[in-house]
Amino acid sequence: MTRELTVMMLTWEFPPRIVGGISPHVYHLATNLAKNGVKVYVVTCDFPGAPRHEVIDGAEVFRIDSYKNPAPDFATWVYLMNVNMQKEAAAIVNDLNGKVDIFHAHDWLVATASIGLKHVFRKPLIATVHSTEIGRRNGIHLDYERMIHETESWLTYEAWKVICCSNYMVSHVKWAFNLPQDKLVMIPNGVNTEEFAKFRDVEKNGDFNAFRRRFALPEEKLVLFVGRLVYEKGVHVLVNAVPKVLEKVNAKFVIVGNGYMKESLSNIVKNMGFAHKVIFTGFVDEETLRKLQICADVSVVPSLFEPFGIVALEAMAAKTPVVVSDTGGLSEIVEHDKTGVKVYPNNPDSLAWGITKVLLDKSYADYIRTNAYRKICEKYNWNLISQQTKTVYTSVLEEYSKSAWAGAVKDTSIL
Amino acid sequence: MQVIVFSWEFPPRIVGQLANYVKKLAVQLVKNNIKTYVVTYHDYLTGQQSEPEGIKIYRVTNPVHTHIGVLTWVLTLNQEVERAAADIYYDAEKRIDLIDAHDWHFIPAAVTLKKALNIPFIYSVDSLEEHRSHGANSPFNMAIKSIEWLGMYEAKRVTVKSEWMKNEVFRIYKVPLEKVKVINPKSAVWMKEILEVYEDVAGDANDA
Repeated sequence: MTRELTVMMLTWEFPPRIVGGISPHVYHLATNLAKNGVKVYVVTCDFPGAPRHEVIDGAEVFRIDSYKNPAPDFATWVYLMNVNMQKEAAAIVNDLNGKVDIFHAHDWLVATASIGLKHVFRKPLIATVHSTEIGRRNGIHLDYERMIHETESWLTYEAWKVICCSNYMVSHVKWAFNLPQDKLVMIPNGVNTEEFAKFRDVEKNGDFNAFRRRFALPEEKLVLFVGRLVYEKGVHVLVNAVPKVLEKVNAKFVIVGNGYMKESLSNIVKNMGFAHKVIFTGFVDEETLRKLQICADVSVVPSLFEPFGIVALEAMAAKTPVVVSDTGGLSEIVEHDKTGVKVYPNNPDSLAWGITKVLLDKSYADYIRTNAYRKICEKYNWNLISQQTKTVYTSVLEEYSKSAWAGAVKDTSIL
Repeated sequence: MQVIVFSWEFPPRIVGQLANYVKKLAVQLVKNNIKTYVVTYHDYLTGQQSEPEGIKIYRVTNPVHTHIGVLTWVLTLNQEVERAAADIYYDAEKRIDLIDAHDWHFIPAAVTLKKALNIPFIYSVDSLEEHRSHGANSPFNMAIKSIEWLGMYEAKRVTVKSEWMKNEVFRIYKVPLEKVKVINPKSAVWMKEILEVYEDVAGDANDA
């Protein structure tokens, strides 16, 4: 190839727009690909105050006019937003004289835009499946859910390769959409340890104790949960484990995030008489979040369904011991008794046992958190992940160069 | 001249009056030596076919079978319309002069093809959401209107079938009147006027 490899990434969220895990994922992937000699264009939804066009750490970002009228429902909004995203992305590629080698889509939220672009420009499409509707909903029960499921299936069908972030997701996606094994690639998610290191320096100035006192008394252990307050994240399991932990250890439970279960969860806590032991912070800014992750005595990830489990990696990068449910991607990230504690999913007794074990045995906690930090530096760093992704791009382009679309084969249309 | 006609109904799939009108249009275009491709929807008669009259038809179906309404159905179907149009475009060695899109359904595809491949399009209006929904303005109606607006804005010309509709297009979407052309299907000069609009849209001379 005479010019640099060029990728257009489509994502519905990119910083400063942060809804879930896709936004930081695409940020780290795009900027590290740029460092590794790939030209990256990111096309994403607009956000108040963020410019329409900017270069962020080497990645060129275009923010499109997301559909802003009231929409009948979330899925219809997604499809309407995709009309705009596809329209603007098409114009960008045209302005570049078609010099984009690969379209890379993240989840069904950009499925229709990316599928159309693939066919109009006849370039290969790669899809990263971060999560599935059938997994999120624990089955398909409604037409609305089936529509999204079939859209996801269509995206994987149209994709040249499907990237998943864990072996668990590879087998889940293979099962959910009946994909051949050789279409699937596992590239893990990553975590940036520097994001924690820069806040850890503050600790030396004694600033951390004051920060910690905003959430817990000095004699209380700090148990941290970070995530959306929805069923699949299993935060209700943690709430039910609260009294069991408090029988053994004096602790404060800090629950960060929002979701439809927030009110019912806080009612449960009040009715148990532990309102003074559990804090619901809602959504917090990044600095507060990182400092909490550093300050915590244990980070808990009690998910029932977890495609990857980025929160566990973040806790490990913050050098905090983790207790996770033995499910999905979490099972792969954590090695029991070595880099964390695994407990039975959806089991408050098991979760309370894991939390108590870490809180009561300091040398054990130090052992697992040290191992965990070493592990993430070796395996889950974005530089390595972006190189693995670049390898996928290169092999797809090699195959593509021999295809009819690349002009190597005469087409056989009947028209 | 080579044109692609977009219509969500075409015989044997007949929903309203548009199917037979577009068929009549395509037959007359072929008679006037215009290579005519029709991209349309069918549940199962998919793929490329040639009609006896010389029309080339590319029927697509929706890869997403389950839907919660016509809007999601249309918005997913548009990618298949784009795929069909792109197949035609590349097989025709990129010599497609224009797309004639009938009603709102495949406007998103027409807009993308314009932005991506510089194929101009005509928005041929048969009916508008304002009248179909009797002025209702739920998010559902607003979404369809926003697609109609997009079509009006991005189209090189808008054709309507009556003076009344011309005024409605102006009233609702503020389309400049010189962009809108009334072509009465019952008129003796119907095909002549369509060909004039096609020449106008396709002709590079007018752009220069």
